[in-house]
Amino acid sequence: MTTRPLAFSSALLFCTAAAGAAWWPFGPAYGKPLQTVRALSAQGRSADVLTALNPVFMQTLRSPDLRDAYLLRGEAFEALGRPDAALGEYQVGTGLFPKSVVLLTHEGSLLHHDGLDEHARELFKLALGYEPKNWRAHLGLAEIESRLGFLDRSAAHYESALEARPAQADAWRDYAGVLFDLREPTAAEYALHKSLDLAPNDAAAHVLLAFVLRAQDDYPGAFAQLDAAAALGGGTGVLRAKALWLLEAGRRNDAAAAATAILAVEPGDPVALWVRARLLLPSDPSGAAKILEPFSARADDAPFSARAAAVLRDAALQEAQKREKIRDANANAK
Amino acid sequence: MRRAVALALALLAAAGPVLAAPDLSADGLLRDHLWREVRRAPVGRRPRVGLVLSAGSLRGVAHVGVIRVLENAGFPIDVVAGTSMGSVVGSFYAGGIPLERMWKIAINLRMDSGANLSVRSLIFLILFDRLLSSENAEKMIRLTLHGMTFDRLLKPFACVSMDIYTGEAIIFRDGDVATAVRASMNLPGIFQPLEYRHRFLVDGGVVDYIPVDAARLLGAQWTLASVTETDFTAARPKSVLDALEQVIDIRGAYLSREQRRQANFLIEPPVGGIGMFDSQRIPEALDKGVIAAAKRLPAAEESLILASIPLLAPGWSAESAGAAR
Repeated sequence: MTTRPLAFSSALLFCTAAAGAAWWPFGPAYGKPLQTVRALSAQGRSADVLTALNPVFMQTLRSPDLRDAYLLRGEAFEALGRPDAALGEYQVGTGLFPKSVVLLTHEGSLLHHDGLDEHARELFKLALGYEPKNWRAHLGLAEIESRLGFLDRSAAHYESALEARPAQADAWRDYAGVLFDLREPTAAEYALHKSLDLAPNDAAAHVLLAFVLRAQDDYPGAFAQLDAAAALGGGTGVLRAKALWLLEAGRRNDAAAAATAILAVEPGDPVALWVRARLLLPSDPSGAAKILEPFSARADDAPFSARAAAVLRDAALQEAQKREKIRDANANAK
Repeated sequence: MRRAVALALALLAAAGPVLAAPDLSADGLLRDHLWREVRRAPVGRRPRVGLVLSAGSLRGVAHVGVIRVLENAGFPIDVVAGTSMGSVVGSFYAGGIPLERMWKIAINLRMDSGANLSVRSLIFLILFDRLLSSENAEKMIRLTLHGMTFDRLLKPFACVSMDIYTGEAIIFRDGDVATAVRASMNLPGIFQPLEYRHRFLVDGGVVDYIPVDAARLLGAQWTLASVTETDFTAARPKSVLDALEQVIDIRGAYLSREQRRQANFLIEPPVGGIGMFDSQRIPEALDKGVIAAAKRLPAAEESLILASIPLLAPGWSAESAGAAR
């Protein structure tokens, strides 16, 4: 064989191999260029992730590594407390990879966090178009639909999310909240028990269960749940709920004691003062009005408790005046 | 990947308060406590509540979304008043038509749901000034309400139309509901005036866009008005129908500016950009009704609570020590 045909054949073989390398499905292996970066991400070294995924390196990546790189950059920015930058990464990512469900759901989550629910909703719906059972999209839509007021749609999405991931305690709790708002207390109670089975120390779940039981007029059960929440560090809100509900249940002495306990830690608490005023109203409406006076306000932008106090104060004073007139009339009659 | 899942979950969990989680602030708990009282109180211990549904043509389907939110919240509604599309929705609600059915009816509404808008009839309208008939609307309403009269409705209801000869607002509170509602939504310039009880009746939106006064005639002491007004400044009429729509919208907008102040509370679904006859955007209008009402619900509850306290207080003053509820 002569040299020229051999050289030509070698060159042809080389070109074919080079072209084939681009096509060869077994290499360069997907994921290998990002192995180190993933390890950094798993270790929580977000700043190092961003350093590693610099623009020069990004340019060497191909799909799907490039897609994952945008995801890793976005997650790193989120971990560093820079959601705006993270959103930018996800948006570039979804622009390049519009069918990437993971990028769509990450972008949707951030938009939802920023209160841009109508935009987030569209992204989650898009993700479900590609992956109808994606639990993260269902969970995101469940929260958004609930916030927008579409309770039945929210419930349906929670059901789908929980079908895929039945061990999510907070999802069961939030689903229960939606069922409660749909006025389905029995179903809400069931969902809350599922949540508490998974996370017995979730104070928020105990509080919600208290509301559900109270809605069914089960005050003893409700108080037990409030006590459980208080023991788990439920805060002043739990004490306030108890004081008001003791009033509702007609346990006036206990309501008074609960109000005193709140005022010991939060002097001037509007709920505690309201309870005190309500308790005093039958016997001493003037005294009740005096209790309400300090936090009464009529301005449209005043807190609701202040406006309610102002109205009740007026009613109490009217009642006091009425009683005085009756007393005077009786005295004159004698 | 697991870390990504955890991060996403954390994000979702931290994504602001979920609507369904109880509000444990002083305001939230007091509102919840008092709302419970108001919902359970009979009229007399709380004001008689009137739901007022404005005119707005197909935009008015947003009222269905508003009602859906109010119903879910157990908002007490004692009487209902409506004009034009508000009268259609109001009559269905007062007649006890289930919300799911109302939603389906709204989704399937088309511009020709109330009349024969065939090419032939439109040619007659344009060439020979022959107005269309809204008889189909009356048939649809009668079918849906099973021929109910006002006294058979589940809630007291009133609707408003206008006598085109005298300009008077005519408030219907008795008789055949379907005919009254047809009169209320009888768009002037498109539909023939309806001759009924010696009156020649057209759409009440020309004189009473937000019928608060009709609700008060039914005894309402506190009114919640759902208003589906247009943004007429954005419109650029190109046809006879567009121009007629624009004139009606302008009239409605000026009228509603005065009437808004008469209602105790307003919910205003942002449907101003939806055309009067734009049936393609009905689902959007329905959703906007839900979203607007859900946003305003806590404030609506507060407003009714504040109006109720003076009526609840005498009962509280009469409570004896140790009395259980």
